[in-house]
Amino acid sequence: MTNRSANYEYVVARVRHRRASLFAEEDYRKLLGMGLGGIARFMEESPYQAEINDLGARYSGVQLIEYALNRNLARAFDDLLRFSEGELYELVARYLRKFDAWNLKTVLRGRFSDAEDEEIEENLIDAGELEPEFLDRLIAAPDIEAIVEIIEETTFGDAVVEAYPDYEETGLLTPLENAIDRAYYEGLLEDQIPDEGPMALYAEFLRTEIDFRNVRNVLRIVRSGAEIDPREYFIEGGQLFDSEEIAQLATDQDQLITHLRESRYGKHLGPAIDSLDAEANLTQFERALDEALLSFADRLSHVYPLSVCPVLAYILAKEREVDNIRAIAHGKETGLDRSTIENELVML
Amino acid sequence: MLEALTNVAGLLAQELISPTAAAALAVGLATIGAGMAERSIGAAAMGAIAEDEDLFGQGLILTVIPETLVILALVTIFVV
Repeated sequence: MTNRSANYEYVVARVRHRRASLFAEEDYRKLLGMGLGGIARFMEESPYQAEINDLGARYSGVQLIEYALNRNLARAFDDLLRFSEGELYELVARYLRKFDAWNLKTVLRGRFSDAEDEEIEENLIDAGELEPEFLDRLIAAPDIEAIVEIIEETTFGDAVVEAYPDYEETGLLTPLENAIDRAYYEGLLEDQIPDEGPMALYAEFLRTEIDFRNVRNVLRIVRSGAEIDPREYFIEGGQLFDSEEIAQLATDQDQLITHLRESRYGKHLGPAIDSLDAEANLTQFERALDEALLSFADRLSHVYPLSVCPVLAYILAKEREVDNIRAIAHGKETGLDRSTIENELVML
Repeated sequence: MLEALTNVAGLLAQELISPTAAAALAVGLATIGAGMAERSIGAAAMGAIAEDEDLFGQGLILTVIPETLVILALVTIFVV
């Protein structure tokens, strides 16, 4: 498809319309006041209608909502790939490989924990580049070694094969999962990207995402107090720190906070960094990171209306919506009260 | 393209092409411009209509707005 020119106008018009019909804040407020049945009924009258109707006969309650969300997400992103042509297709497909990474990790985890094939299959999100037949082969593989052999055919192959001896040595999935994540993020920026225009901002957006991912990982390591070398989790390509710096900062939270405050993200993350000082809970800070990333994507989509940026902003916003509804549904199921769900929720 | 236009203007100044031929060129060039503009707007309008059919009217109007360029260019025919 690369020989066709990109059709930014068409895709951006569709994406903007879809972005506008995502759930608004008052919809979430309504959802918060409903039970699980109410949420499913509410979704039936929204863009989730097709999925709820399809799955309604087989599942109910939180499972119905969960699977409907996954399926709807897959359909939305499949549509994006179907619409796009040329350069735009390449860029979107590359970004959506995050779902390939998700699927590979899900299969590995499922096999690792001896889950039923059916259970694994239900948790896959068919939105990436990997074909359903390929995923079926993965699920059918008898053990982790066989799965790794199949993964070898994909772009994640080299990294995963390299990490396999580590897995055998430690008996933990973490090295394999890390390898997949790193292969994904590093694959995003593998090509030389021009220094100006929309492509440069696209690259900057990806770098920001990598930086935020790194910050999140380091903070979790610091907070957990575990003896983990943060360099193993470090993703190349960000601008905030390099692997040596991160190893040093991970030992001292105050130093890490100062580094963050003085960085280029300091201005946008100011209040969030303050909350990090005071509270023991990371949720607020991670929410702030998500919000900063989304508003960055929104800003880019206004600066370069005819580029891949509006599509990325839509992908983020859609994921956010799905996460929000999932959080509400699970919160309701476990009987949390309204204000707790509201605080744990990522509002728009 | 600009160079070609300057050449045409030069030829016109030396009265090597007739005013009618120049007017015809003006209309032709304006039409190409309008076509280029409509290509993008049409694509975007199709995208919007695919999402929501009610946008058909607005899409149609926005798509033909560059057409005014051609109508203005037609004036040159009557001026020369």
